[in-house]
Amino acid sequence: MSEQSGSIDVLRSQIEEAGKLGLAQVEAAATSADLESARIHILGKKGTLSEVLKGLAQVPGPARPQVGAVANEWKSKIEAAIAVKKEALEQAAMDAAIAHERIDVSVPSRRNHLGGLHPITQATRLVISILSRIGFEVATGPEAETDFLNFEAVNIPKDHPARDMQDTFFLGPGVVLRTHTTPVQMRTLMERPLPLRILSPGAVYRCDSDATHSPMFHQIEGLWVDRGIRMSDLKGVLDFLAKELFGSKAKIRLRPSYFPFVEPGAEVDVSCTICEGKNARCTMCKGTGWLEILGAGMVHPELYRAARVNAEGVTGFAFGMGVERIAMLLHGIPDLRLMFQGDLRFLRQFP
Amino acid sequence: MKISWKWLSDWVDLEKVGTPERLAEILTARGLEVESLHRQDEGFDHVVSAQILEKLKHPEADRLSVCTVSTGAAPYLQIVCGAQNMKRGDVVVLANIGAKLPNGLQIEKSKIRGVESFGMLCSEEELGLKDKAEGIFILPEGTPVGWKIADVLERDDVILEIKLTANRGDCLSHYGIAREVAAAIGVPLKTQKIPEIAWAGSPVQIELKAGENAPQFAGALVKGVIQKESPAWLKTRLESVGQRAINNLVDVSNFVMLDLGFPVHIYDADLLEGDTIAVDVATPGEELALLDGGTVKLQGFELVIRDGKKTVGLAGVMGGGNSEVRATTKNIFLECAEFSPVLVRRAASLHARRSEASLRFEKGIDSTGPEKAMKRLADLVSRVAGGVLVGASFKQSPARSQVRSHVVQFSESYIGDQLGMSLSPEEISKILMGLQCSVDRSGGKFSITPPTFRRDLNIAEDFIEEVARCIGYDEIPLTLPFAADLAARPVRESAVAQRLRRIDATKDALVELGFFEAVSLSFQSSTFLERCGLPSQVRVQNPLTEDHECLVSSLLPGLLKAVLENERHHFGAEPISIRLFEVRPTFHSTDQPIAAVGSHDTGVKETLKAAFVLTGRDHSDALRQDLRVVDFFDLKAVLEGLFARTRTSGVRLIAATRDPIPATFHPGQALEVWVGKSRVGYAGRLHPRLEKGLGLRQPLYACELDLDAVLPLMMAAEAQFKDWPKFPGMERDFALVVDSATASDRLVQVGLRAGKPIAKGAKVFDIYKGSPLPEGKVSVAIRVSFSDATRSLEEAEVERASKMMVEAWAKETGAALR
Repeated sequence: MSEQSGSIDVLRSQIEEAGKLGLAQVEAAATSADLESARIHILGKKGTLSEVLKGLAQVPGPARPQVGAVANEWKSKIEAAIAVKKEALEQAAMDAAIAHERIDVSVPSRRNHLGGLHPITQATRLVISILSRIGFEVATGPEAETDFLNFEAVNIPKDHPARDMQDTFFLGPGVVLRTHTTPVQMRTLMERPLPLRILSPGAVYRCDSDATHSPMFHQIEGLWVDRGIRMSDLKGVLDFLAKELFGSKAKIRLRPSYFPFVEPGAEVDVSCTICEGKNARCTMCKGTGWLEILGAGMVHPELYRAARVNAEGVTGFAFGMGVERIAMLLHGIPDLRLMFQGDLRFLRQFP
Repeated sequence: MKISWKWLSDWVDLEKVGTPERLAEILTARGLEVESLHRQDEGFDHVVSAQILEKLKHPEADRLSVCTVSTGAAPYLQIVCGAQNMKRGDVVVLANIGAKLPNGLQIEKSKIRGVESFGMLCSEEELGLKDKAEGIFILPEGTPVGWKIADVLERDDVILEIKLTANRGDCLSHYGIAREVAAAIGVPLKTQKIPEIAWAGSPVQIELKAGENAPQFAGALVKGVIQKESPAWLKTRLESVGQRAINNLVDVSNFVMLDLGFPVHIYDADLLEGDTIAVDVATPGEELALLDGGTVKLQGFELVIRDGKKTVGLAGVMGGGNSEVRATTKNIFLECAEFSPVLVRRAASLHARRSEASLRFEKGIDSTGPEKAMKRLADLVSRVAGGVLVGASFKQSPARSQVRSHVVQFSESYIGDQLGMSLSPEEISKILMGLQCSVDRSGGKFSITPPTFRRDLNIAEDFIEEVARCIGYDEIPLTLPFAADLAARPVRESAVAQRLRRIDATKDALVELGFFEAVSLSFQSSTFLERCGLPSQVRVQNPLTEDHECLVSSLLPGLLKAVLENERHHFGAEPISIRLFEVRPTFHSTDQPIAAVGSHDTGVKETLKAAFVLTGRDHSDALRQDLRVVDFFDLKAVLEGLFARTRTSGVRLIAATRDPIPATFHPGQALEVWVGKSRVGYAGRLHPRLEKGLGLRQPLYACELDLDAVLPLMMAAEAQFKDWPKFPGMERDFALVVDSATASDRLVQVGLRAGKPIAKGAKVFDIYKGSPLPEGKVSVAIRVSFSDATRSLEEAEVERASKMMVEAWAKETGAALR
């Protein structure tokens, strides 16, 4: 019995020794590979603990569970230690990898090319979107136009001094590059039933070239023809447009002027919403407090006659603006010619 | 047009107006836009006349003098001066401390080489009187000392620059403007005593041979005039509005025109032959030497003035050289007449002789004018040049001699209704009478006869404007019109609206693909267009410059110019990346000549095009190792991206088989865009010869589409939802060895056709050339996907389909499995 109990004690201490040694080995593992070889060394089929446990067979029956429990306790302890160690090592490995993956985030990105619409297109869309809210729709026409539609039908007969107002490019007998988009109004009057509310945006041409004139530029003209349209309606619509374009503080001012296709005719100024007339050096209004942006008036009856519209009781108003002028005001562009050079230094500023 | 405040005061009392600024406001509000206002005494504050009491040499500088000057009383001022042309006793112009001269020079107390100076003695240049002047300005002896220099020089006028609209010919004179001012402020015009003229005793007979094109003519013969410098008042008047004084005869004729608005002409009577002066129509081909030294060949429509033997003037435009007033002229013939606005305009334009006179005739002068003008002219001539009026004659055509009774009628409420405000008939009457209209009110109606000088008032609408501008446009209220038909007339599906949506979508897609929109002028030079291989079909008859002589038939030249411009100003080691597009019409000839036919047709066809160019790198910014130079397939991707984004179906991209624009595109790197049976565009690398010729530093890829042909294929209907396959498909890869000339998309088409119905898609994913493949062969790797919407496929049927595909490839393209 004492011999037996002696061998049990030996075994127990062997287990504990192997266990302690095992724990130390687990603890000492520096890598996952170390840890795995430690596990095999301790718990593998021929591992230290396993070898010790082979002695358990000699332990007599009643004592065996006790020794077995001790052995399992150690086994669990070591397995737990391995799990903990494994987790720690993986964490450390990931931390190391993360540290290694560090990049300089200030390095330039692989940026895609940025594109953008031309300021002329942007301004055109803006005006159309504003006025389509009150029922205007777009009409278009050719840029090479007959003298008849560009001039004669809109009350600018041949040899009339008003022809001096628009220096004209000629393409052939009776064929011109349109000097305004008014022929589109004419075409529409000829082709469509009343009432009409149209906008005619597009390129127009005049023989003129300097910082404020380009031989090609863009206009948007509006035309509203219906029964009982009054000049006060023209003012109301222009006031709405001015407030949408330049802010709700904007006011309009009409000055009598002359355009052969309207009567009465007016130049339209919008109050400067940047300085409100208070800055003599304002870059927007040049200190005048007003921006000249439009010509307007009531449709001249000659246009109805030329279009063969039954104008009994019918009146209308028309207005026209330079798109470049609007774009220049909105964006502070100093020179009209910049618009037509395709210069990316310019275009990139208005994405 | 320049208007002098003082001259204007000859015709209307401006006291009620107050200041020139107020006058400018009044005129502008009435439609006579005052563009600028110039005070003659600007910069003359603190500038006075002063007498030199003493002139000494500067102790430190030989070229400077030290003057003591008096402005009438002590203390006398010490002035250091650089000029030497003055002496003791001279009256000169002193700018006191605090003056700011017209040239911007600010006068301050200063010390010049150790000597104090309390002002400056001025030259005429410094006073803005002359462009250039030597020495200081010495005033005439006896000039009072200590006067404001504006008073001494009578520079106390204010000049208004008025931008007249083309309809207001009646305002092209001081009298005309005075009429407006008088109406505006409600004061009468001043009258000037002008002696009547006796229309008798003229040895010269006047003949009107051009009918209503020259309906009236007044002539007068004055003998024994003396030509000399004009009196000061006349010179001052003319010079104040920028008209150089020449001599008394020239000056009076200019004065009458600027004062009353009627052009007049003076002939040397001794150079006129015979005893008639006739207005006639020119003989075609006849030559006339004009007084500017040039000779014009007349076409036969022009109005001319003839004496008994020869043509002596181009009526309303310019007098003839053969009858012009010379230094020795003593006897003169005066002409005041009315000529057809249209014929004067045509003659002046054709012969490039637009003048102040023709400008006024073009706009139509007051039909009662010639008579009045002659009285004024004859009176002035006798006052400034003496002589004796031998006789005068005035002739009118029968039609002209009848009073022009042009009456316009409208209801009493008409004007208020049209303006959108209420106006009493009394108010309207008062305004129109103020404008010298004769107003008749009866039966609720106005009958208005405009004054003869208002040729622009012809229809009722003209009187709406007259009333509106007199009450002020600001008084018209703001209202919004009612669009009763708005809901009844949907516009979204109209052809124009659809087209615009598609154009917008095209532009938006290209922006999304990284392109900036350019807008180029439609003009180019023919040489540049020919270099690009894209010659123009439509020329401008009167181009601004050679660079603008053609209208473009393609948008590419404009974009190429933009690329060159961008490259030109680009600097740095990295080549520039450019992505530009443009959507605009181009101009084309048709089988009709370019000429108007009917009201609408021009013989020019416009085609809306879309074009884009790209060059440089695939990204706008990245480290060099991540950047790639763009190539053909970047271009193709843009084109495909554009079509995908705009939901365009039915467009085919095929390799350019023949070379359609030989000078423009690289023959081996271009494709054609087809819709139905038409080719609608090209895309490719620029021809290397063109790249080299233009001096491009890197390959450039370009595309141009006929957008008119493509737009109808875009966004045809709302996109419709389609369910995706429920059963997984299978993929198989094939490596096919084919002739290198075989287009890979042909392999795709052949394969898909043979693999029907389960082969759903095929994609080329690799192309290999080189060892061990023989020369002229390539290996094309294709991945084919098989699927069926209703079931899972079996291995065997995919095998069967694959086998059929391989056979088809072999048979139709000679392809062998690698």
